[in-house]
Amino acid sequence: MQPSRGLPLSAQANGAIYHTYRSDLSQVRALVLRRAREAGLTESRANDLVLAVSETAANTLRHTRSPGTLVIWHDAAEVVCEIHDEGTITDPFAGQHKPPPDASGGHGLWLVRQVCDLVELTSDASGTTVRMHMSLRPPGAAV
Amino acid sequence: MDLLTTSVATVESGSEPYTLVELVGEADVTNSDALREVLDAEVAKQPRTLIIDLSGLRFMDSSALHVILRANRSMDRQGGVVALASPRDPVAKMLRLTAADQLIPVYASVSEASAG
Repeated sequence: MQPSRGLPLSAQANGAIYHTYRSDLSQVRALVLRRAREAGLTESRANDLVLAVSETAANTLRHTRSPGTLVIWHDAAEVVCEIHDEGTITDPFAGQHKPPPDASGGHGLWLVRQVCDLVELTSDASGTTVRMHMSLRPPGAAV
Repeated sequence: MDLLTTSVATVESGSEPYTLVELVGEADVTNSDALREVLDAEVAKQPRTLIIDLSGLRFMDSSALHVILRANRSMDRQGGVVALASPRDPVAKMLRLTAADQLIPVYASVSEASAG
Protein backbone atom coordinates (compact mmCIF):
# COMPACT_ATOMS: atom_id res chain seq x y z
CA MET A 1 0.00 0.00 0.00
CA GLN A 2 1.28 3.40 -0.93
CA PRO A 3 1.35 5.77 2.03
CA SER A 4 -0.78 8.84 1.59
CA ARG A 5 1.14 11.78 0.26
CA GLY A 6 0.40 14.17 3.08
CA LEU A 7 0.25 14.18 6.83
CA PRO A 8 -0.76 12.61 9.16
CA LEU A 9 1.90 10.01 9.10
CA SER A 10 -0.39 7.04 9.23
CA ALA A 11 2.18 4.76 7.63
CA GLN A 12 4.70 5.14 10.44
CA ALA A 13 5.41 1.83 12.06
CA ASN A 14 6.00 1.18 15.72
CA GLY A 15 9.43 2.11 16.93
CA ALA A 16 9.68 5.30 14.90
CA ILE A 17 12.36 7.57 16.27
CA TYR A 18 12.22 11.35 16.20
CA HIS A 19 15.14 13.71 16.06
CA THR A 20 15.21 17.48 15.89
CA TYR A 21 18.20 19.18 14.29
CA ARG A 22 19.31 22.68 13.57
CA SER A 23 22.97 22.58 12.67
CA ASP A 24 24.44 19.19 13.53
CA LEU A 25 24.04 17.19 10.36
CA SER A 26 26.79 14.77 11.41
CA GLN A 27 24.52 13.58 14.20
CA VAL A 28 21.65 13.22 11.71
CA ARG A 29 23.84 11.11 9.43
CA ALA A 30 25.08 8.90 12.26
CA LEU A 31 21.52 8.25 13.37
CA VAL A 32 20.35 7.35 9.88
CA LEU A 33 23.35 5.08 9.27
CA ARG A 34 22.81 3.22 12.54
CA ARG A 35 19.10 2.70 11.98
CA ALA A 36 19.54 1.77 8.32
CA ARG A 37 22.07 -0.90 9.27
CA GLU A 38 19.84 -2.21 12.05
CA ALA A 39 16.94 -2.43 9.60
CA GLY A 40 19.08 -4.56 7.31
CA LEU A 41 20.02 -2.25 4.44
CA THR A 42 23.29 -3.12 2.76
CA GLU A 43 26.20 -0.81 3.57
CA SER A 44 26.05 0.77 0.13
CA ARG A 45 22.32 1.49 0.31
CA ALA A 46 22.60 2.65 3.91
CA ASN A 47 25.15 5.21 2.69
CA ASP A 48 22.78 6.21 -0.11
CA LEU A 49 20.08 6.92 2.45
CA VAL A 50 22.55 8.88 4.58
CA LEU A 51 23.38 11.06 1.57
CA ALA A 52 19.70 11.60 0.76
CA VAL A 53 18.76 12.57 4.30
CA SER A 54 21.81 14.80 4.70
CA GLU A 55 21.07 16.65 1.45
CA THR A 56 17.46 17.16 2.49
CA ALA A 57 18.41 18.30 5.99
CA ALA A 58 21.02 20.65 4.47
CA ASN A 59 18.13 22.42 2.73
CA THR A 60 16.63 23.10 6.15
CA LEU A 61 19.83 24.89 7.13
CA ARG A 62 20.04 26.74 3.81
CA HIS A 63 16.45 27.86 3.48
CA THR A 64 14.91 28.16 6.95
CA ARG A 65 15.73 29.70 10.28
CA SER A 66 14.00 27.05 12.36
CA PRO A 67 14.83 23.46 13.27
CA GLY A 68 13.88 20.50 11.14
CA THR A 69 12.65 17.14 12.31
CA LEU A 70 13.72 13.70 11.19
CA VAL A 71 11.57 10.61 11.68
CA ILE A 72 12.92 7.15 10.89
CA TRP A 73 10.97 3.95 10.90
CA HIS A 74 11.06 0.61 9.20
CA ASP A 75 8.97 -2.48 8.67
CA ALA A 76 9.68 -5.77 6.97
CA ALA A 77 9.61 -4.17 3.54
CA GLU A 78 11.41 -0.83 3.80
CA VAL A 79 13.21 1.85 5.75
CA VAL A 80 11.68 5.30 5.61
CA CYS A 81 13.21 8.61 6.60
CA GLU A 82 11.05 11.69 6.73
CA ILE A 83 12.31 15.23 7.00
CA HIS A 84 9.98 18.08 7.82
CA ASP A 85 10.87 21.74 8.01
CA GLU A 86 9.30 25.16 7.55
CA GLY A 87 10.72 25.74 4.10
CA THR A 88 8.59 25.88 0.98
CA ILE A 89 9.49 24.26 -2.33
CA THR A 90 7.45 25.90 -5.07
CA ASP A 91 8.79 23.91 -8.02
CA PRO A 92 6.85 20.65 -8.28
CA PHE A 93 9.62 19.24 -10.47
CA ALA A 94 12.41 20.12 -8.05
CA GLY A 95 15.21 17.63 -8.37
CA GLN A 96 13.66 15.74 -11.27
CA HIS A 97 16.05 17.03 -13.89
CA LYS A 98 19.75 16.48 -13.79
CA PRO A 99 21.57 19.76 -13.29
CA PRO A 100 24.67 20.30 -15.41
CA PRO A 101 27.68 18.99 -13.50
CA ASP A 102 29.16 22.47 -13.10
CA ALA A 103 25.90 24.02 -11.86
CA SER A 104 26.40 26.00 -8.69
CA GLY A 105 23.32 24.50 -7.07
CA GLY A 106 20.47 22.07 -7.54
CA HIS A 107 22.36 18.82 -7.07
CA GLY A 108 20.93 18.12 -3.63
CA LEU A 109 17.35 17.09 -4.39
CA TRP A 110 18.44 15.49 -7.61
CA LEU A 111 20.82 13.24 -5.68
CA VAL A 112 18.03 12.42 -3.23
CA ARG A 113 15.87 11.21 -6.10
CA GLN A 114 18.73 9.23 -7.63
CA VAL A 115 19.68 7.19 -4.60
CA CYS A 116 16.26 6.50 -3.04
CA ASP A 117 13.76 3.93 -4.24
CA LEU A 118 10.88 6.35 -3.76
CA VAL A 119 10.74 10.02 -2.78
CA GLU A 120 7.52 11.76 -1.78
CA LEU A 121 7.58 15.51 -1.48
CA THR A 122 4.75 17.66 -0.18
CA SER A 123 5.13 21.38 0.30
CA ASP A 124 2.83 24.25 1.13
CA ALA A 125 2.89 27.45 3.13
CA SER A 126 3.15 25.49 6.39
CA GLY A 127 6.30 23.68 5.37
CA THR A 128 7.88 20.88 3.41
CA THR A 129 7.87 17.16 4.07
CA VAL A 130 10.21 14.84 2.19
CA ARG A 131 9.74 11.12 2.69
CA MET A 132 12.56 8.90 1.47
CA HIS A 133 11.94 5.17 1.05
CA MET A 134 14.54 2.41 0.76
CA SER A 135 13.28 -1.08 0.07
CA LEU A 136 14.75 -3.89 2.14
CA ARG A 137 14.18 -6.18 -0.84
CA PRO A 138 15.60 -4.30 -3.82
CA PRO A 139 14.62 -5.62 -7.23
CA GLY A 140 16.95 -8.35 -8.34
CA ALA A 141 18.11 -9.19 -4.85
CA ALA A 142 18.11 -12.81 -3.80
CA VAL A 143 15.17 -13.60 -1.53
CA MET B 1 36.99 17.77 17.31
CA ASP B 2 36.29 19.50 14.07
CA LEU B 3 34.00 17.76 11.65
CA LEU B 4 36.37 18.55 8.81
CA THR B 5 40.10 19.11 8.98
CA THR B 6 42.14 20.32 6.06
CA SER B 7 45.89 20.25 5.61
CA VAL B 8 47.86 21.76 2.80
CA ALA B 9 51.31 20.87 1.53
CA THR B 10 53.47 21.70 -1.45
CA VAL B 11 54.96 18.51 -2.75
CA GLU B 12 58.12 18.46 -4.81
CA SER B 13 57.75 15.78 -7.38
CA GLY B 14 60.13 15.45 -10.29
CA SER B 15 60.14 18.65 -12.28
CA GLU B 16 56.85 20.10 -11.16
CA PRO B 17 55.75 20.75 -7.57
CA TYR B 18 52.06 20.33 -6.83
CA THR B 19 49.73 21.49 -4.10
CA LEU B 20 48.18 18.75 -2.02
CA VAL B 21 45.06 19.47 0.03
CA GLU B 22 44.02 16.66 2.32
CA LEU B 23 40.46 16.52 3.62
CA VAL B 24 39.66 14.41 6.67
CA GLY B 25 36.25 13.95 8.25
CA GLU B 26 32.91 15.01 6.86
CA ALA B 27 32.41 17.85 4.36
CA ASP B 28 28.92 19.32 4.32
CA VAL B 29 26.95 22.55 4.23
CA THR B 30 28.04 23.44 7.76
CA ASN B 31 31.73 23.68 6.83
CA SER B 32 31.67 24.43 3.11
CA ASP B 33 32.54 28.11 3.71
CA ALA B 34 35.68 27.08 5.57
CA LEU B 35 36.55 24.66 2.78
CA ARG B 36 36.04 27.42 0.23
CA GLU B 37 38.47 29.68 2.10
CA VAL B 38 41.13 26.97 2.16
CA LEU B 39 40.77 26.17 -1.53
CA ASP B 40 40.53 29.83 -2.59
CA ALA B 41 43.77 30.57 -0.76
CA GLU B 42 45.57 27.75 -2.57
CA VAL B 43 44.08 28.58 -5.97
CA ALA B 44 45.25 32.19 -5.50
CA LYS B 45 48.85 30.94 -5.37
CA GLN B 46 48.34 29.72 -8.94
CA PRO B 47 49.79 26.24 -8.72
CA ARG B 48 49.92 24.22 -11.91
CA THR B 49 48.33 21.23 -10.19
CA LEU B 50 46.04 21.07 -7.16
CA ILE B 51 45.40 17.56 -5.87
CA ILE B 52 42.66 17.02 -3.31
CA ASP B 53 43.19 13.86 -1.29
CA LEU B 54 39.76 12.50 -0.35
CA SER B 55 40.91 9.27 1.28
CA GLY B 56 40.11 10.52 4.78
CA LEU B 57 36.72 11.92 3.84
CA ARG B 58 33.86 9.86 5.23
CA PHE B 59 31.13 12.01 3.72
CA MET B 60 30.74 14.77 1.16
CA ASP B 61 27.53 16.60 0.27
CA SER B 62 26.61 18.77 -2.70
CA SER B 63 27.70 21.97 -0.91
CA ALA B 64 31.24 20.68 -0.61
CA LEU B 65 31.09 19.46 -4.20
CA HIS B 66 30.11 22.94 -5.39
CA VAL B 67 33.10 24.41 -3.58
CA ILE B 68 35.41 21.93 -5.31
CA LEU B 69 33.79 22.59 -8.69
CA ARG B 70 34.25 26.31 -8.12
CA ALA B 71 37.94 25.80 -7.37
CA ASN B 72 38.18 23.68 -10.51
CA ARG B 73 36.69 26.50 -12.62
CA SER B 74 39.14 29.02 -11.17
CA MET B 75 42.08 26.73 -11.73
CA ASP B 76 40.93 26.05 -15.27
CA ARG B 77 40.73 29.80 -16.00
CA GLN B 78 44.30 30.30 -14.86
CA GLY B 79 45.59 27.31 -16.80
CA GLY B 80 45.92 24.91 -13.86
CA VAL B 81 44.48 21.49 -13.17
CA VAL B 82 42.54 20.03 -10.24
CA ALA B 83 42.61 16.30 -9.57
CA LEU B 84 40.79 14.24 -6.93
CA ALA B 85 42.48 11.27 -5.28
CA SER B 86 41.20 8.11 -3.60
CA PRO B 87 37.59 8.86 -2.73
CA ARG B 88 35.87 6.26 -0.55
CA ASP B 89 32.90 4.44 -2.08
CA PRO B 90 30.08 6.82 -0.99
CA VAL B 91 32.03 9.88 -2.14
CA ALA B 92 33.01 8.21 -5.41
CA LYS B 93 29.38 7.35 -6.07
CA MET B 94 28.28 10.92 -5.45
CA LEU B 95 30.95 12.22 -7.86
CA ARG B 96 29.67 9.75 -10.44
CA LEU B 97 25.97 10.56 -9.98
CA THR B 98 26.55 14.29 -10.35
CA ALA B 99 28.92 13.66 -13.28
CA ALA B 100 31.47 15.79 -11.46
CA ASP B 101 33.93 13.03 -12.32
CA GLN B 102 33.50 14.06 -15.97
CA LEU B 103 34.77 17.55 -15.12
CA ILE B 104 37.49 16.69 -12.64
CA PRO B 105 39.69 13.62 -13.05
CA VAL B 106 39.44 11.13 -10.19
CA TYR B 107 42.42 8.90 -9.44
CA ALA B 108 42.86 5.89 -7.18
CA SER B 109 45.79 7.48 -5.35
CA VAL B 110 47.68 10.73 -4.92
CA SER B 111 50.70 9.31 -6.73
CA GLU B 112 48.55 8.43 -9.74
CA ALA B 113 46.98 11.88 -9.63
CA SER B 114 50.40 13.55 -9.53
CA ALA B 115 51.55 11.45 -12.48
CA GLY B 116 48.52 12.80 -14.36
